[in-house]
Amino acid sequence: MSKKIGVFVCHCGTNISATVDVEKVAEEAKKNNPGVSYTTTYKYMCSDPGQKLLRDKIKEEGLDGVVVAACSPKMHEHTFRNASKKAGMNPYHVEISNLREQCSWVHPDKPTGTEKSVDLVRMMTEKTRKDKSLNPIKVPVTKRALVIGGGIAGIQAALDIADAGHEVIMVEREASIGGHMAQLSETFPTLDCSQCIMTPKMVELAQNENITLYTWSEIEAVDGYLGNFDVKIRKKARSVDLDLCTGCSSCWQVCPSKKIKSEFDMGLGKRTAIYIPFPQAIPSKPVLDREHCLLFKDARKKNIPPNDSKVCRKCLDICPIAPVKAIDYTQEDEIITEKIGAIVVATGYKELDDISMYGEYGGGKYKDVITGLQFERLASASGPSEGEIQRPSDGKVPEIIVFIQCVGSRDPAKGCSYCSKTCCMYTAKHTMLYKHKVHHGHAYVFYIDIRCPGKGYEEFSLRAIEEEGATYLRGRVSRVYKKGDKLVVLGADTLTGSVVEIEADMVVLASAMKAQDDAEKFAQKLSIQYDKDKFFSEIHPKLKPVESSSAGIFLAGTCQGPKDIPETVAQAGAAASKVLALLSADELEREPVVAKVDRLPAPIFSTCIGCFYCQRVCPYGAIESEDIKARDGSTIKTVARVNEGLCQGCGLCAATCRSKSVELAGFNDEQVYAEINSVEFN
Amino acid sequence: MIEELRKKAEELLKNGTVKVVFGYGEGSVPERTRPVFITKPEDVNKLTWNKYCVYNLTTYLKRQETRKLGKPALILKGCDARTIIVLLKECQIKREDVYIIGVTCDGVGDPLAEKCKACDVHTPLIYDDLVGEKRENKEVPFEERYAELDEYEKLEEKDKWEFWQKQFEKCIKCYACSNICPLCFCDRCIVEKNQPQWIDPSAHPRGNLSWNVTRAYHLAGRCINCEECQRVCPVDIPLNLLNKKLAKEAEKSFDYRPGYNIDDELAMSTYKEDDDEDFFK
Repeated sequence: MSKKIGVFVCHCGTNISATVDVEKVAEEAKKNNPGVSYTTTYKYMCSDPGQKLLRDKIKEEGLDGVVVAACSPKMHEHTFRNASKKAGMNPYHVEISNLREQCSWVHPDKPTGTEKSVDLVRMMTEKTRKDKSLNPIKVPVTKRALVIGGGIAGIQAALDIADAGHEVIMVEREASIGGHMAQLSETFPTLDCSQCIMTPKMVELAQNENITLYTWSEIEAVDGYLGNFDVKIRKKARSVDLDLCTGCSSCWQVCPSKKIKSEFDMGLGKRTAIYIPFPQAIPSKPVLDREHCLLFKDARKKNIPPNDSKVCRKCLDICPIAPVKAIDYTQEDEIITEKIGAIVVATGYKELDDISMYGEYGGGKYKDVITGLQFERLASASGPSEGEIQRPSDGKVPEIIVFIQCVGSRDPAKGCSYCSKTCCMYTAKHTMLYKHKVHHGHAYVFYIDIRCPGKGYEEFSLRAIEEEGATYLRGRVSRVYKKGDKLVVLGADTLTGSVVEIEADMVVLASAMKAQDDAEKFAQKLSIQYDKDKFFSEIHPKLKPVESSSAGIFLAGTCQGPKDIPETVAQAGAAASKVLALLSADELEREPVVAKVDRLPAPIFSTCIGCFYCQRVCPYGAIESEDIKARDGSTIKTVARVNEGLCQGCGLCAATCRSKSVELAGFNDEQVYAEINSVEFN
Repeated sequence: MIEELRKKAEELLKNGTVKVVFGYGEGSVPERTRPVFITKPEDVNKLTWNKYCVYNLTTYLKRQETRKLGKPALILKGCDARTIIVLLKECQIKREDVYIIGVTCDGVGDPLAEKCKACDVHTPLIYDDLVGEKRENKEVPFEERYAELDEYEKLEEKDKWEFWQKQFEKCIKCYACSNICPLCFCDRCIVEKNQPQWIDPSAHPRGNLSWNVTRAYHLAGRCINCEECQRVCPVDIPLNLLNKKLAKEAEKSFDYRPGYNIDDELAMSTYKEDDDEDFFK
């Protein structure tokens, strides 16, 4: 039975009607086309009355196919399909003829625009005739989230999801959660102690029954799709059994390797080979650094299993756990697989720590030229100097200190072109922390601009200058060199047009926030996009700020771009709410516009010949191979199959297939052929 | 060399390595050979080797009739052996399912076939056994390899179009070109798809154009230029000219030549992020 098709031509205000004679388009649509039983035009089809018109006419005229000649399907295909669904029609019998972006906006002349519009509408009418009812694909949802990264972003997202009653798996590659926030001394603009606000959250996370925490673990592979990810997690050998260990501290107290640079203290403090990164670490249980441990060093040298080495077993000997000790030198990496419904990526940033590229500032040359994060450790009560500001070279309290801003940031020639957003604020904070601890000291800041757009931020930075007496100099530093035990900072003050020379005791570089070193590789593992600076990309900078390019994977915190703590926490909450929306359904509905490889009766089974060109071109890894078996179990044919859960309906496979064995629902061969034919023969 | 071939075939059939040997046999006239399928060791004397062995025997790998005979050994020239590499890349055969008796070759045909004029695979690039004296495969410069196209490329666009229209007018849609082609291996060709009928099956100029252009497109970046399509065409359409032109474009754009290296990624289905894509600027 042939269809009764309705054609609705939209004026789009004057967007379409100024260059297209919409009445004529509607009239022509009916001419010589017995299938078209109703046509009309309307000022704004997408408006409420416009949609009502569509719904009413579907019912009144008994339409079973609709062409809306309006704007791009990207804009309102969804709107009109929904409207027709409400009128009781299968929404996939609605086609959009794009008269705006592809016609009225590009053709200034009305006769041409009208003629083309008539063609475009006829093409879609012919396609509509061949439309088939499609039903949404239902995908079951695993109600468990994965949070990658245990910094403040990950912790916040995990807590929000867990508090809503869903299981969360958190994977952190370091020995403890906490991330960069745990390293900070005090936070702007309120100067509250970072540890004091961070550690309760860490404890809350550890104690939350819905959260399973894997520290010292990394993501090995992510397979599957939205609602049904299979995630392989590598639990790196810790050499300590977390179930047995009580964190009694005996082992790290006896460890003889005491001079290893502490990563947590940014190299300013020392740690042992078996260690916890910082006193408030969670889990508060040690990890054995096999690279620096004497026993493992010896075993590597002699090429023997570590357990056979007798060089040093002090940690094992002292471990009070009995009968089985909590320390195990033979432990190996373990790979576990978890089923996951949605993923939050919160892998954070890395401070530009290779300051030797800024040799002009003495970076890498002088011990007393340090980074912002190093200064945080110096100022922190749990830091290597227990909160006293001391020069790394001789422990002297610096009386004059120079801060240089934008080191690495806003420097496309050497560093990154972007602004790291947090440095203006943390430098202002640093000058205050310094002043609070060294009352007679003086802080100088070289800046390009002071950027403090945030609640209380402007006031905070003014306070640094006006109340705490920091001297802000607008200009860049040309050179830092050593003179006796002083560092001479040569710079320009562009506001007075003079050259400034400061004999400082210490220099702090406000170094940039960069993407993690392995961000690119990691993004490829997850099939998410990243930008030129290797920060992960959101789909839409304004309207979809936490959605990654892969469905079901969300972004939180600085892995997406430089941010401060309030912004990070807000984004983590947003990511968590997206995850919760996904996990709140038992089944997810997916657009049925997916590809399918044909299956036919014996003896052909499928016209697919199994060349797997489709598999090679598929950007989503949605094509699998399937063996068609005979009754005796022997393989008759190996052919391609589309995983509907992964398919995004891009149609590359259908275009690539030489034998036309793949078809994309909603864009099948008959539909496309009908469209093309209607132009050629009319 | 013929004796060596026969001995090899006999040995492979006797020890059960293969069930059948695809080779060349004497034709009805001395200037011709024909494909033979030897299944019994006592029949190996039917095998021959001479300059008339122009055919590419890999085409029998796609035929049901010859597939039924069991694991084959194929007597392959360097050019024909390139097909094997493409078939392996396109998952049509498994390496362990074919035995390759490579033959070194100085060119076939009388007069010398076009494909032999710029040959750089006198010794096959893939084989299990080699018959004949091993020869060094010298590189042939790009221009020389595509010299056949020089005349054609001088034509104006309009003349090219006219040239092909005239050529395709002759086509009688016998599909010999696709039947002989070892790389036209689909169970159902696009021309056989009739819902919708993308390609008009009648010998009408419009259908002829779509058929011949589609056939050439489907071989772009895959064709190893064995010239079999052109040889079998009953109305003498210079099909290999079209194939060769596309091969040249594929090589220019992607620096890719099919059938040379099993580790190469297929030109027509590989996406590279660092591709400068200057061919469509």
